[in-house]
Amino acid sequence: MKTFITSALILFIINVVPAQAQSTGSDQYKQAMTEALSRMKTQSEKTPVPDMLAMANQFERIAGVETKEWLPRYYAGLIYVYLGFMGKDEAEKDKFLDQADAHLKAALALAPDNDELAVLKAYIAQSRMVVDPANRWQQYGPLFQSGVEKAKSLNPNNPRPYVLEGTSLMYTPEQFGGGPGAACPVLKQAAEKFATFKPASDLHPMWGKTQIEPMLAKCPK
Amino acid sequence: MKLFLRLPSFLTTVLIGLSLSASAQTVVSGRVTDQRGRALPGANVFLRGTYDGATTDTTGAFRFSTTRRDTATLLITYVGYESFVRSITLQPERTSITVKLTELANELNTVVITAGAFEASDEKKMTMLKPMDIVTTAGAAADITAAMNLLPGAQRVGEQEGVFVRGGSNLETKVVIDGMIVQNPFFSSLPDVQSRGRFQPFMFKGTSFSTGGYSAQYGQALSSVLLLNTVDKNSSNGLGLSLNLANAGLSYDHSTANSSLSATGYYGNLKPLFALVRQNLDWTREPEFAGSSLTYRLKPSKTGMLKFYGMYSDSRLGMNVRDPGAATVGNETGLINLRQHNRNAFTTSTYADSWGEGRWLLNTGFSYSYDTDATTYDTEDFSRSSERAQARAVITRLLGGNSSILFGAEAHTLTLKNAVSGVDYSLRDNYGAAFVESQFYVSRNLAFQPGIRAEYSSVIGRVNLAPRLSLAYKTGVFSQVSLAYGQFYQTPDYRYLYRNTDLNFERADHLILNYQIIRNKRTFRAEAFYKNYAALVREFTGTPYDANPYRFPWGRTDNSGHGYAQGFDLFWRDQKTVKGLDYWVTYSYVDTKRLFQQFNVVATPTFVSNHNVSLITKRFFEKISTNISLTYTFTSGRPYYNPNRPTDSEREFLSDRTPAVNNVSFSASHILRAKGNLIVLYASVDNLLNSRNIFTYRYTADRTTRYAVGPQTYRSFFVGGLIMLSKKAKVDVNQL
Repeated sequence: MKTFITSALILFIINVVPAQAQSTGSDQYKQAMTEALSRMKTQSEKTPVPDMLAMANQFERIAGVETKEWLPRYYAGLIYVYLGFMGKDEAEKDKFLDQADAHLKAALALAPDNDELAVLKAYIAQSRMVVDPANRWQQYGPLFQSGVEKAKSLNPNNPRPYVLEGTSLMYTPEQFGGGPGAACPVLKQAAEKFATFKPASDLHPMWGKTQIEPMLAKCPK
Repeated sequence: MKLFLRLPSFLTTVLIGLSLSASAQTVVSGRVTDQRGRALPGANVFLRGTYDGATTDTTGAFRFSTTRRDTATLLITYVGYESFVRSITLQPERTSITVKLTELANELNTVVITAGAFEASDEKKMTMLKPMDIVTTAGAAADITAAMNLLPGAQRVGEQEGVFVRGGSNLETKVVIDGMIVQNPFFSSLPDVQSRGRFQPFMFKGTSFSTGGYSAQYGQALSSVLLLNTVDKNSSNGLGLSLNLANAGLSYDHSTANSSLSATGYYGNLKPLFALVRQNLDWTREPEFAGSSLTYRLKPSKTGMLKFYGMYSDSRLGMNVRDPGAATVGNETGLINLRQHNRNAFTTSTYADSWGEGRWLLNTGFSYSYDTDATTYDTEDFSRSSERAQARAVITRLLGGNSSILFGAEAHTLTLKNAVSGVDYSLRDNYGAAFVESQFYVSRNLAFQPGIRAEYSSVIGRVNLAPRLSLAYKTGVFSQVSLAYGQFYQTPDYRYLYRNTDLNFERADHLILNYQIIRNKRTFRAEAFYKNYAALVREFTGTPYDANPYRFPWGRTDNSGHGYAQGFDLFWRDQKTVKGLDYWVTYSYVDTKRLFQQFNVVATPTFVSNHNVSLITKRFFEKISTNISLTYTFTSGRPYYNPNRPTDSEREFLSDRTPAVNNVSFSASHILRAKGNLIVLYASVDNLLNSRNIFTYRYTADRTTRYAVGPQTYRSFFVGGLIMLSKKAKVDVNQL
């Protein structure tokens, strides 16, 4: 018993001491991220642009301190994707998406083969395409698809590539290979994966479930 | 009064300072604006390396507290603006700071040199058209060069191929693919037939149609260059089939992460089409053609890009040409049998790379083409061949603030052979050019582009030096003016050089003034020009004027010709007013006269029409996923040669005009999906109103009877479709 406690204590010290220098940072990181994420949860399509920017700024500041963490970059990029859908004109939308690309690039430098970042890449491509579909589908369509495929292959359990694919199909006319017929099976796959998906931590991405619910409601049971 | 105010503020400062020092925190506050003092809400203000920061509110104000003491680095970032970095001293009580951010250079706030150029691009945002607009235009028959004839500055000449720009002939326009001159951009020329361009529009991601004043990077064109840039990757994968009234084709595309391959093959025969659509020409053998192409692209590194494109085609045809000048008893209309067998090969490979974080760019290319026409006219041999090999390299150095400088050189070897009534002529020209050009931004509102080009042609043993200058000034957020001046040289038509190599370069000087405003999906562009022609080749045949455009110039030649062209063109596009409807209108006016070829006096050439109007409309009907386009064109009458008028009178020579040419054309495309395969169906009708258009007249040798030369067909239709045999061939979102 005594040896156990001693060895446990030694282990504890060995493990914690090098981390000690970071540990305040790490706690601070968790706290800051939790705060930023809870603020992000209040976001909706009615959130004014400056408030969205404030959310992205918060993650950007965290990213500036935590130079080894990809998550703050990821969330900052994600908010700029939302802004890419909200911008007042093509130029502004593209400006926001340029920011999303910059955050994605920085995140990929930290985590090159990450399924969530592949999802983000696909999401950016989709947002770019929506800016001017008639002229952009040729360029961004394949980019969207390759991001979705990459995410699926990196983590077959991740529901989010299916969320993006299903949503895109739902809003694509039938004659282009979209419509509920094509979208519903994909959305159902997403729903199944949500049932078992466990994010790596409370700070990891969890979005998507509520987004697809209204679409799933329209699908044949 | 002052005393009253100062006292409380002094008190508050002291109080805040006290409360802050108690919690060991410092408040940093202030305001962020643009250069004009307007608030920037949403800017990120923070101390580098800390969590301490805030976002500016709607008035641009920010306020946050920090536990930091002494000094820190303040960083301010805002979308679309340059970051602001400054080391600040944190006062124990309060630090206040006001910052003005500078906007980043972007396409909206930076002037672009546009005089003379009409661009269609996916990559640049501020362009007049997108490549897709060209493909889906009715009346262009998905032929990229035909689509150019609807743009401002172009004059439509119905019975000849090529692009005629601002009083210039089709020989004065060069087609350039990825920087390489294309020797034979059109199918072989036939008397009174407008041949199609050889290239598929989907090959290109960007098109720049320059109607003058163009860059020192290009030469050997007195009027215009059509710059085509090929796409960097496949847009689909898998097998595709296409079938229409003229041909059947097969395509295969395959891509990997760093490379892509496309192969196409086709066979065509116009017999079925000619059986359905009445022909005005007398075909003895309907055109039959077969061809293939191969495209390979490789990204060997993050920055490098290698492209290879090769194509080969083989075509045969036979027709009875009407040459009234050759009319005899028993053949009153002068019908002469022409047979032709054309073989054409074209390859081009380019390599582009960049170094130093994109500050140095390299573009290199090599191209080889071979074209041969085995032609018999009546019983005589008029065969010809051309062979061109060319290499090109351009190095660009990007400087700060959008400025750049480029250096480049190109070398060509051209071998031409031509049989004329059984006599063989041939020549070889080694052509070299070097050029320097700089783009210099004085500010975001003002840019200069000076350049100079030197050329040498071995066949005439001459050198020329051509300066060019463009400048552009931004007059408002959405508008700008540009000015361009340049000297342009061209080696004389090789038909003259077969018999006289003492000729010099022909020359044109351009002066162009352009104004454009692009705002809220509406575009207006106006351009005025003056062109001076010098050293044009004149022929002294000693025989009466010969109106046959395919005659061989036997006479003595020199460079004593000259001329001018002046005019303006207008362009208006509106994608906003009527929802879903996109239309654009073009009007071009030109006044031109010249002394050249067999002219004894100054006159307006037969290929010139003073007024050209085109109206293009498009609408996508989402419910039936059908795209519909309607195009109207008007071309005013052109001069034609009447042998009953004296050729040495400026008032009489070429003073007759043909009637104006009107055309309404319609096209529709419909997209559907069957068993997971994407299908596109299209149909078009040209000359919907069945107008009996006349392009020119030809006279019999006795000058008594004239024959009208018109289009190959009057009202005609065309249908076809293509299938992408791949589950992955998906068209995402909305439109085609």
